[in-house]
Amino acid sequence: MRFSDIIAMSAGNLWKRKVRTVLTVLGVMIGTAAIVVMLSLGIGLQSAMMGEIQSQGSMTNIQVYNYSYGDSDQLLMTDKTIEEFQQMEYVTAATPQLSTWGTLEQGKYRVDVSFYGVSQEFLSQIPVAEGGRIPDSNTKKPELLIGNGVICDFYESSSYKYPYHEDGELADVDLMNKTLFTQFQSTYTVDSEGNYVEQPAKKNIFPVVGMVEGGPDDYNSYCWNVYMDIDTMKKYLETTYRGQAIPGQPTDKNGNPYKYFVYENAIVTVDDIEHVDEVQAAIVEMGYEAYSEAEWIKSSQQEMLIVEAVLGGIGAISLFVAAIGIANTMMMSIYERTKEIGVMKVLGCSLGNIRAMFLTEAAFIGFIGGIVGIIISYILSFICNLILPPLVGYEGMNISVIPIWLVLIAMIFSTFIGMAAGFFPAQRATKLSPLAAIRSE
Amino acid sequence: MLDERKVVVEVEDLYKIYKVGTNKVRALNGVSFQVYEGEFCAIVGTSGSGKSTLLNMLAGLEHPTKGQIAIRGQHIEKMNENELVAFRREHVGFIFQSFNLMGTMTALENVALPLTFRGVPKKERLKRAERMIRLVGLEKHKKHHPNQMSGGQQQRVGMARALVLNPDIVFADEPTGNLDSVTSEEMMNLMRNVVNKHHKTLVMVTHDNQLASYADRIIHIKDGKIVKIEDNTDKWKTNVGAAAVEEE
Repeated sequence: MRFSDIIAMSAGNLWKRKVRTVLTVLGVMIGTAAIVVMLSLGIGLQSAMMGEIQSQGSMTNIQVYNYSYGDSDQLLMTDKTIEEFQQMEYVTAATPQLSTWGTLEQGKYRVDVSFYGVSQEFLSQIPVAEGGRIPDSNTKKPELLIGNGVICDFYESSSYKYPYHEDGELADVDLMNKTLFTQFQSTYTVDSEGNYVEQPAKKNIFPVVGMVEGGPDDYNSYCWNVYMDIDTMKKYLETTYRGQAIPGQPTDKNGNPYKYFVYENAIVTVDDIEHVDEVQAAIVEMGYEAYSEAEWIKSSQQEMLIVEAVLGGIGAISLFVAAIGIANTMMMSIYERTKEIGVMKVLGCSLGNIRAMFLTEAAFIGFIGGIVGIIISYILSFICNLILPPLVGYEGMNISVIPIWLVLIAMIFSTFIGMAAGFFPAQRATKLSPLAAIRSE
Repeated sequence: MLDERKVVVEVEDLYKIYKVGTNKVRALNGVSFQVYEGEFCAIVGTSGSGKSTLLNMLAGLEHPTKGQIAIRGQHIEKMNENELVAFRREHVGFIFQSFNLMGTMTALENVALPLTFRGVPKKERLKRAERMIRLVGLEKHKKHHPNQMSGGQQQRVGMARALVLNPDIVFADEPTGNLDSVTSEEMMNLMRNVVNKHHKTLVMVTHDNQLASYADRIIHIKDGKIVKIEDNTDKWKTNVGAAAVEEE
């Protein structure tokens, strides 16, 4: 029998029992739509979440820390280490961060802060409030970019009273426009008797070129710190503390400063999020601590996968019910057509062809149900995107996304389900006796 | 004279024993006979005589308990279901008592159905079906569905369907059982005509002696055994012309 004839006969048989066919197709349609819509919600939510994370950047960044910092004869992160990072596979950039702490002072107020010397590339990622800019490189004095939360921590230097934390009033300071004194942490030297001698750093006036965007209480990863260009900072420290201990820099066993800069942390940028894991592991292997957003994203991706599986599972149950519906319809149809099948056998229709006819019929139900289900899914998805995003806080984003692969898989799956459900009935049909044709009604 | 003719069906010592509870029922109890090419053979018996069982086994719808059936030299008693279906597709035509036409198909499509199973392309099979429809005189009804036709017309379609494969042998199971006496007679004449004019071999099962008298040879069967074989070959030889005229 020709394949086209099998198709034509199966279609004819479905057409003959229109109502029953439509009802069975309806079951598959609901099942398919349920799976597709549920999965589309999972996919949409995930991509909305990923989009949000990506908009914050730094997904391919690895933060490298050296907490053994300061302990002598420990591993130190130097320019040489940074170079090593740069040589690693997949790494596109490695920039060190120089850090120290100190104070800012204006009038009677003072604040303790961490100072970071970072690359221009890092600086350019920091959102700057209007009226400011990021620090330039190669200026004579370091320029400062101050975190938006720093202002909350000012205290009166005489009484250690925090106006913001105690009274809820911001300290009366104007960081951008009035003179601001900057003092790095003190350094210590060991005198001839082995005692540590404090050497206070000198007070400087560094120009403040910008503030990090956001109100005093708005959190971001830059809000508590003060940033400057790393090269300017290094140059400044080298010239100011020539031959002496540099603030924030460790000393060796004997309390002598190193001849090179030691970094507390560095940022390693990888070409692709897929490689973050590998590079991170390699860095940890070298003895440093490393942290990346990708790590967190991975775990949240896994959570989303569970959500998707649960949603898909709910849909799968309805498709399973639909499969039972198909099997039932096919069984009914075979009982009804016992005589017809017998006649076909007497007239020489091979068992394979009979099986193929019934399988095709079942596959048709699954296939048509799949197509209609996908159309319904698109409509439901459209409605979801209209109603849901404002409710879950992803305004303007598509919370239900139906990628083309999902459409293809849904079609193949529903057709397959149809065939699987039709398999047993089709097998049954081939076993019917041709004698059924002989018996008179 | 008979020995000169080719044997189409050769049945030898055929038994069919059914088990009903603990009892054994011998539906066929040692039957042997031949059917020759171009012959119209009737198997006559009362209900329960075993005639239907015999036909079913000849057509390969049932397996015999014992014995041999050869159609054109091919032994069908040992074939499995797949082989039997394939065998019927190539060599056997079948006319049913209750017509058994497909309700969703037109007369023409019904006639073409066995060709579909053979994988004949649509154009070709409709052409051949058309020829058969003409043979049974139903050109006017070829586009009609079974429910738009009388019993006699439906059985003519059934006959055309049995002949469309150009089979070695056609089996008819009480072909007039659902028809009135006038249409029955027409049907018998048509069958007679097909055998005479187109040299088909036809085996018919009936309980009606009167209908059986249209056959060349009549095999009387009773309690699973052949009791008598009537040979009217000579009578039909001389009446060939008359039968054909009657049909026209």
